Amino acid sequence: MAEKSNNESKEQELVGLLAQFDDPETLVHACNEARAAGYTKMDAYSPFPVHGIDPAIGIKRSILPFIVLSVALGAVVLGLGIQLYANGQDTFWPFPGYKFLISGKPIFSIPANIPVTFEIIVLSSAFATFFGMWILNKLPRFSNPLHRVSRFKRVTNDKFFLMLETADEKFSRSVSEGQLNDWGAVAIDEVNQDLTDTELPKWLATVGILGAIMLMLPPAAIFSQWGMTNRLPRLHVVPDMDWQHKSKTQTMAANLSNELDGVSLMYEDLRSARRPVDGAIAFGSLDIDSELSYGIKSDFAYTITSGGNALTRAEDTDKADKKEEKEEKDGDAVAPAEEDNLEKYVTTLPEGFQLTEEILDRGQQRFEIYCAACHGYAGAGNGLVNQRAMSLAATGAATWTSARSLHEADVKDDAKNPVGRIYDTITNGRGNMGPYKAQIPVQDRWAIVAYVKALQETGIQSDVPVAADDDAEENQEQNQEADEKQEL
Amino acid sequence: MHETRPAKITSPIVSLSDGYARTIPVALIVAAVGIVLSFILLQGPERFLYSYLANFAFLLSICLGCLFFVIIMHLTRAGWSVTLRRIAELYAMCTPYMAILFLPILVTTLTGSSYLYPWVDGGWSIHGGGDALASASVDQLPPLEQLKASFLNPTFFAARWVVYFTFWGVAAAFFLFTSLRQDKEGGIKLTHRMQAISAPALIAFAASIVFASFDLEMSLDPFWFSTMYPVYFFAGGVLSALATITLTALWLQRTGRVTDEITIEHYHDMGKLMFGFIVFWGYIAFSQFLLIWYANIPEETFWYDIRINKVGWKTLSYILLIGHLFIPFLAMMGRTVRRSKTFLSVATVYLLIMHWIDHFWLVMPHYANAPGGHLREGVVTTSFFYFLGDVACTVGMIAAFIAIFCLVARSRPLVPLQDPRLGECLNHEVH
Amino acid sequence: MTTVDPQSLDNTYDDASQRTPLVLGGLDYEGVTDTACGFWEADSAPKIWWILLGLAISLLMLLGGLIQHLLFAGVGVWGNNNPAYWGWPIVNFVFWVGIGHAGTLISAILFLFRQNWRTSINRAAEAMTIFAVVCAGTFPGIHIGRVWVFYWLFPIPTEHLAMWPNFRSPLLWDVFAVSTYATVSLLFWYMGMVPDIATFRDRTKSKIGKIIYGLLSLGWTGSARNWHRYEIAYTLLAALATPLVLSVHTIVSFDFAVSQVPGWHTTIFPPYFVAGAIFSGFAMVVTLLVPARELFGLQKLITLRHLENMNKIIMATGLMVGTAYGIEFFIAWYSGVPWEAFAFWNRAFGNYWWAYWIMVSCNVMIPQLFWFKWCRTTPWFMVIVCIFVNIGMWFERFVITITSLCRDFVPSSWAYFTPTWVDLGMLIGSFGLFFTLFLLFCRFMPVIAMAEVKGIMPRDDH
Repeated sequence: MAEKSNNESKEQELVGLLAQFDDPETLVHACNEARAAGYTKMDAYSPFPVHGIDPAIGIKRSILPFIVLSVALGAVVLGLGIQLYANGQDTFWPFPGYKFLISGKPIFSIPANIPVTFEIIVLSSAFATFFGMWILNKLPRFSNPLHRVSRFKRVTNDKFFLMLETADEKFSRSVSEGQLNDWGAVAIDEVNQDLTDTELPKWLATVGILGAIMLMLPPAAIFSQWGMTNRLPRLHVVPDMDWQHKSKTQTMAANLSNELDGVSLMYEDLRSARRPVDGAIAFGSLDIDSELSYGIKSDFAYTITSGGNALTRAEDTDKADKKEEKEEKDGDAVAPAEEDNLEKYVTTLPEGFQLTEEILDRGQQRFEIYCAACHGYAGAGNGLVNQRAMSLAATGAATWTSARSLHEADVKDDAKNPVGRIYDTITNGRGNMGPYKAQIPVQDRWAIVAYVKALQETGIQSDVPVAADDDAEENQEQNQEADEKQEL
Repeated sequence: MHETRPAKITSPIVSLSDGYARTIPVALIVAAVGIVLSFILLQGPERFLYSYLANFAFLLSICLGCLFFVIIMHLTRAGWSVTLRRIAELYAMCTPYMAILFLPILVTTLTGSSYLYPWVDGGWSIHGGGDALASASVDQLPPLEQLKASFLNPTFFAARWVVYFTFWGVAAAFFLFTSLRQDKEGGIKLTHRMQAISAPALIAFAASIVFASFDLEMSLDPFWFSTMYPVYFFAGGVLSALATITLTALWLQRTGRVTDEITIEHYHDMGKLMFGFIVFWGYIAFSQFLLIWYANIPEETFWYDIRINKVGWKTLSYILLIGHLFIPFLAMMGRTVRRSKTFLSVATVYLLIMHWIDHFWLVMPHYANAPGGHLREGVVTTSFFYFLGDVACTVGMIAAFIAIFCLVARSRPLVPLQDPRLGECLNHEVH
Repeated sequence: MTTVDPQSLDNTYDDASQRTPLVLGGLDYEGVTDTACGFWEADSAPKIWWILLGLAISLLMLLGGLIQHLLFAGVGVWGNNNPAYWGWPIVNFVFWVGIGHAGTLISAILFLFRQNWRTSINRAAEAMTIFAVVCAGTFPGIHIGRVWVFYWLFPIPTEHLAMWPNFRSPLLWDVFAVSTYATVSLLFWYMGMVPDIATFRDRTKSKIGKIIYGLLSLGWTGSARNWHRYEIAYTLLAALATPLVLSVHTIVSFDFAVSQVPGWHTTIFPPYFVAGAIFSGFAMVVTLLVPARELFGLQKLITLRHLENMNKIIMATGLMVGTAYGIEFFIAWYSGVPWEAFAFWNRAFGNYWWAYWIMVSCNVMIPQLFWFKWCRTTPWFMVIVCIFVNIGMWFERFVITITSLCRDFVPSSWAYFTPTWVDLGMLIGSFGLFFTLFLLFCRFMPVIAMAEVKGIMPRDDH
């Protein structure tokens, strides 16, 4: 006889009859009989998949493999797409990709992109298989009237069950029970659906909302700080990382020694990077033609220093300033600073420089741009800047060394001031005059040198043209310039 | 539930019967004509030998794959494949006869002509083979040909091949004849013996495959080397062996020589195995390619360079990739296709064609890109006669192979008659 | 036919006329359930379990403490330095990932090959996979230096980084491979456990147990319609996991093989590494299961034949590894590349010769003992051999990584790598992590795949 389930609720509905069998063969036999008898809404239950059940119950092959296949094909596109996006382009807004240039491999290189694509295919397919199967099986299903049948606990151990559902047309309470007994059932139970427990408990909603709010708090706290500034000092969680035991360039050297030694710093001059040795040349500035680039004869090219950095130049300038101050104090006029060796300078225009009339005009133009402000348009030392500075110096509001007139004897003297030295003056500065190396390219500097020599040759000291006989003056100028060219 | 079949062969004795006696002479004539015609059309030994080698390698890989099938089925105590095993044993037994087919290659090498293998005479590395000369950058080292001469010389080569064929012959003979003996005697003792021998046989087989693949194909360009090469040869060989066994079984069933001893379940399993080895082959081929491509070392990449960046070869490489990997992968994935005899007939032929292309692709580029500076004419499509010559050679070699198979199979039973696991095999069901 | 004593526990005989029984002692379905659940159902675990757990947890704490030290002090606490930038962390990573592969092989590949004997061992082996992958994943996780920005490894758009991972790098392939492997193994393991957790749900006597196992078993009823889809999904996951397990260790081998370093750049690395992984993994499974079957009384389910079959696979994969050694060695000479030849000469006779010979003796020579039947069917002996195999496989990764780095192209950068106490401590500690998880698993989760074992038991008309 069928036993009622151990459910004490009043409202129940019969869902089916559950028959227990003791071995899989009887179960399969019963399933075949049931299908022959016309039942379609039924299910068998077993501790392991029983071979032969599928056709016996009439289970059609699942579509799961096709779902997985389509997901896999999509994953091919996804995998290649992610990599194309992330490494193959860098223009997509707002998150452009990043094109790595590595060992000459093509930016989007299919062979190298296969492994990740493959893994994405496998991962996507595995998810599709796993979740697809549970979804198709309509699991998880925690509420199942079958679980209320106490005998049913043996289904995961060693017993086999067949349930005929009331929803089936052929089902009839007494007939079905009789059939199940005929087919070898050891015991038969009623399966009743409890109709009362279908509402969710009320406290679930409250807990759910509270829980959701609690979960939102941490990200809200984090994002509220996004884009804000904070005056508090940083927290240093990993001190070894924030204060690393090493010296960074262009900062003071770290204290790397053991305090017990008493030696407090690595280098006395506090620098963490050493200065380049003399003769070190900045990358890209190796000039083989010392005559053209430095105005120095090739024999003396070894004397060319790196030009130094700002510190070096500052020191040189400091030294020069100190010397000049000393000389000023001594009352002597500031003479051209003593050179170690005037012989190193070239005395003629270098081969890399071709002097033509156009170039001379250019030299004039450049001179008027860069030099005339202090030295005056005719090189007479009467530039407006100089005049102003001198007037300020006279009142004591500034210190100023006058810009020299280019027509002075020792500036014109080829022995004391060869053209190479003029070039050097423009390049590296002299005294108060700063270096124009950065502003004026090499060719232009030589053009200015040529123009300066032209001015010196003509002896014109006024930039205001003389009134009478302009043509004669101009012709004389031109002739002298032509001579100048030949001389130089 | 299905009825349980009795564990014995119920049909009348299954064999090639007299068919083999008629086939052999025809096949031999076709073989001779094909090979001679090919020699003429390809204008001499130099080009002919490459075509010959490609076909020989293709056929040898099938025989060796079948030998592997036999060994592994014994080693794993497999029951489902019993009725298919005899076909594999017969193909494996073709290996010693392949030694006869190997003679042209062996004789060429022993007589000192470097038509095929450039290392036969010296001077292949001094002229440099493209950009692959490793010793050029290290002045003190002797040229490569000297370094490798202790291995790559005709005498040692011949000795090795004697060893290979001896071992393969002995192993194949052991498994075939023990199995044939079991047809008469029955019992389990012989099965246990074959199982016991299968383990050391597999080890020796692995060693032989390693060096045979080096000797046969990798040394065509003695500059190049790849530790993966034996695995590549093996993967392709087993795949085509499975295809051959399946195709043969289908043909035997279609012509009535085998009836219900081989069921659709067996074909399903063979289909699964073929699918597995398609994936395995693709994995091995891709790994070898990726590693060489990624490191970009010229002494290794040139081998792929001549196969990918030259116009004709590029197309063939893509055909190989798509046709040997992607298409069979998608095609053999499904359950339905694995259980359709028609489909399997087409698929196995297709796979064999693809495997042939694989060996063609492995061997032929070295004709035009031989080290030592021999610049030869193009390979297939430069002239119609060359194409015909290749076809003739292929047809001839396959005919020779069929002749050998018929000779081996004679009137021997095509399924094991008294294997103790017959019951399991005949009742085999794939879920 | 061999006549078998039904109470005998030795099923290692060879008899071609019948399939040896895989469930011994005359157990029926209920017997299988009772035997498999025995340890779990015990009111209290035996003392030895507590002692082992305590030991494991202390090693785990060692690992945790060392990781904390590493995070705060930096990667310099390891021995990694010029030129051996890859030191023990990578070796440990490859070691643990390799061990993990056996579980998937048993679950997936042996399933596809219809090897029914896998059913007694696959659950424990899969669990071992998960835990081994957890151990493996800690090493790359902590070695990246700034562990708190680990998410930069993934293709997530972050404005402050404005950069993406380099998909062409094998190290990034590793990230995807190991994550995929961990995820898929977890899915496969969990899916396989659901019917057995349902058994636990129906047998447990504790209220908490009912809730937890009830939730985890998703309401499983053993419905035939469910089993149908379940089996299809199982086959699909097995078919996916097979290429996955090959690909994961292949990608790990790519870390080395795509480089140009002599000794690393050789095309056979992918299958060689995979074979080595299966080799070490099976050795670990045997090492775990032999004591486990004694401790939990599972001798009738995990029989001597199961152990013997595993030992045969250990032999086979060990020989594959040995073959690969031979091929590498030969090609190193054949290639004519002097650096390659030197790399291999150096391994055997250079300053790390001792590591090389440990590797060869443990990987190639010692497993040959399994040719002898007594060796491969005696539980205590096979554990010894398998421990040596694992030692040998650790040394293989050590030899590959360190010798090639310490003797590369430029002699001015040659050095002798020494590990630090942190390196050693983390290796030992990782075993603590592994065993803690495994011991907990044995106590609270189904150790044997009961449903699968019942499925392969002979039925009357089969």
